[in-house]
Amino acid sequence: MDKLASLLHTTPAIVWMVGKVVVVFLSVFLLASVWTWVERRGSAMIQDRIGPNRAKLFGRWPILGLSQLLADGIKFFFKEDLVPEAANKGLFWLAPFLAFVPALMGFAVIPVGKSFVCDGVTYHLSVLDPGNGMGLLYPLAIGGLAVYGVLLAAWSSNNKWSILGGMRASATMVSYEIGISMAVVAIFMTSGGYDPSEVIKAQGHLPWTWYVVRQPLGFLVFFTCMFAETNRLPFDFAEGESEIVAGFNTEYGSMKFSLLALAEYSHLMTASALVATLYFGGWQVPFVADPPVLLSVASFLVKMLFFAWVFVWVRWTLPRFRYDQLMHLGWKIMLPLSMANLVFHAWRMSQGH
Amino acid sequence: MGVIVKKVELTWLDRTYVWPVLQGMSITFGHFIRNLFTSTAKRYTVQYPDMKREIPAGYRGLHELKRFEDGAIKCVACFMCQEACPARCISIEAEEFSDLNLSQGFQEKRPAKFSIDMLRCIYCGMCEEACPKDAIWLRKEYEVAAYDRLSMQFGKWNLMNTYAEADGKEQLTQDPTPSVPRRTIAM
Ligand code: SF4
Ligand code: SF4
Repeated sequence: MDKLASLLHTTPAIVWMVGKVVVVFLSVFLLASVWTWVERRGSAMIQDRIGPNRAKLFGRWPILGLSQLLADGIKFFFKEDLVPEAANKGLFWLAPFLAFVPALMGFAVIPVGKSFVCDGVTYHLSVLDPGNGMGLLYPLAIGGLAVYGVLLAAWSSNNKWSILGGMRASATMVSYEIGISMAVVAIFMTSGGYDPSEVIKAQGHLPWTWYVVRQPLGFLVFFTCMFAETNRLPFDFAEGESEIVAGFNTEYGSMKFSLLALAEYSHLMTASALVATLYFGGWQVPFVADPPVLLSVASFLVKMLFFAWVFVWVRWTLPRFRYDQLMHLGWKIMLPLSMANLVFHAWRMSQGH
Repeated sequence: MGVIVKKVELTWLDRTYVWPVLQGMSITFGHFIRNLFTSTAKRYTVQYPDMKREIPAGYRGLHELKRFEDGAIKCVACFMCQEACPARCISIEAEEFSDLNLSQGFQEKRPAKFSIDMLRCIYCGMCEEACPKDAIWLRKEYEVAAYDRLSMQFGKWNLMNTYAEADGKEQLTQDPTPSVPRRTIAM
C-alpha cells in the first residue's frame, strides 16, 4: 500500500480511503443490479415459472439468465430519453440521482468486517471510521432522505398518478420511520452507544446474545418497517399498476428509470446490511471469538445477502396491503409495539440487567 | 338461492400475523427448493418456439379447402360459408366448369376464386359448420403470420395447399379436368 501511495503521490491513508469508497460502493451497486436478476429468477422459482433465460451472451451462453442483466442495461442506455413537455426539467433529471445516492450512502458507516492492524496502523473496514460521531444515526437519516428522490420524481413529472404514488410513498415512510427509530433507540440504550462498532461489540459472538434474541419485538418492528422504508411489497405504495398506472416513475424511461429501479435495490441492500448489523451481530462469526478478517467479511456478506433474499422472498409470498391497512399497521401497531419494546428495555436497564 | 359464506375464525396466533406469514414463507420456499431441483423443461412453462403444446382434437386453426383424390376441389361454391361467416371475411366467386351436369354425376359448379381474409377471421368455425359438402375444415395449424397485410389474404390455392405438406400431398396449382363421375345418381 505504501508503494501504491508513493506511486500516486499521496499518503496510504488516502489510498485506503479511496479504495474503500470505490470497492464498497461499487460492490453495493453491482450487488443491487445482480439482485434484480435474483428477484426475477427467484420469483419465477417460487411461482413455478422459469424466469428470464432467453438472453444469451454473444448469442451462445445463457448463464442462467444473467446475461439478461447486460441486455437490459444496454437496452436502457440506448433507449430514447423522453422528458414530458410540462415536467419540471431540472428536477426531473435530478430525481433519479436523489433517489439513488442516498440509498447507497447509507452504507458508508456499516462495518463490513473486523478492523485489523497492519504496521501499527489500524484499518477499519467501513467507509467512515468508527468514532465519527454519526454512527447509526447516519444511515437512518440518509434513508429518510431517500423519500425526496421518490417525491421529487413524482412531483417533477407533472402527472397526477405520479404525484399520488409519491405522496403515498412519503406518507408511508414518515409513519414507519418513527417505528424504526424507536426500535433502534432500544438498541442504542442496551449497547451504550450508537456507533456500529459498539453495537456489534455489545452483541458478542454467541448467537443467543445477538439482539434478535434479546429484543425479538424490536427486530420484528424494525424489519417490518424496513419493508415500508425500502418501498417494497407488501408495502410498495409508491407503485401500483392497478391503481395509479405505474406510480411515481410513470413518466420515466431509459436510464433514468433504471436508476430509479437500481435505487430501490441499493436501498434494499443497505436495509439488509442494517438489519445484519443491528440485530445479527454484523461481522461477528458465530462461536468464533476472534475471527480472521476475511472470515468476518464473509460472515457479514452471508448475513446481508440472506436478508436481501428475505426481502425478495417476502415480496413473492405476501399480497399487498391496502393503504388504510398500511396506515393502521404503522400507527396503531408498529408504533405502540416499538414503544413498548423501548419502555420494556428501559425498565430492564433500570433494574440493573 | 343464497350461498352461506363460512366465516373463518382467526385464532390469536393468526391475528399476530407473524405466524401465518411464516407459514406462507415456508410454502413459497418449498416451491423454490422444489424448482431448484427441477430442470426448466419439466416446469409448467412451455418454452414456445422450442417446445410446443399438444393441440387438442377439435382445435380450430388455419382453414383447409378439402380436395378429392384426383385433386378436384370439394367445394361447390354454394356460398353457405360466406353467409354464415360472422366476420364477413370469406369471398367467393363461382364458375361453371363443365358441360356435364349433376344428373350425369358431375358437380358443375366450383369456386373460381375463394379467399379468406385471415386478418379478419376469428376462427369461429362457423364456415365449417355451415358447409354442406364438408369442403372446408379448420385444422391444427396456428402459426399464421406474415410481414404484410396482403399476404394474409389467402386465396383458393393457398387454402387448398395449407396442409398439403403436413399430409404429404402434392401442392395444387390448377383444377384437374373432370374425368370420372363423382357419384351416380339414380334418376
Ligand atoms: S372461421 Fe369463422 S370467421 Fe373465419 S372464415 Fe370461418 S366463419 Fe368466417
Ligand atoms: S366451402 Fe362449403 S359452404 Fe363454402 S361455398 Fe364451398 S361448399 Fe359451400
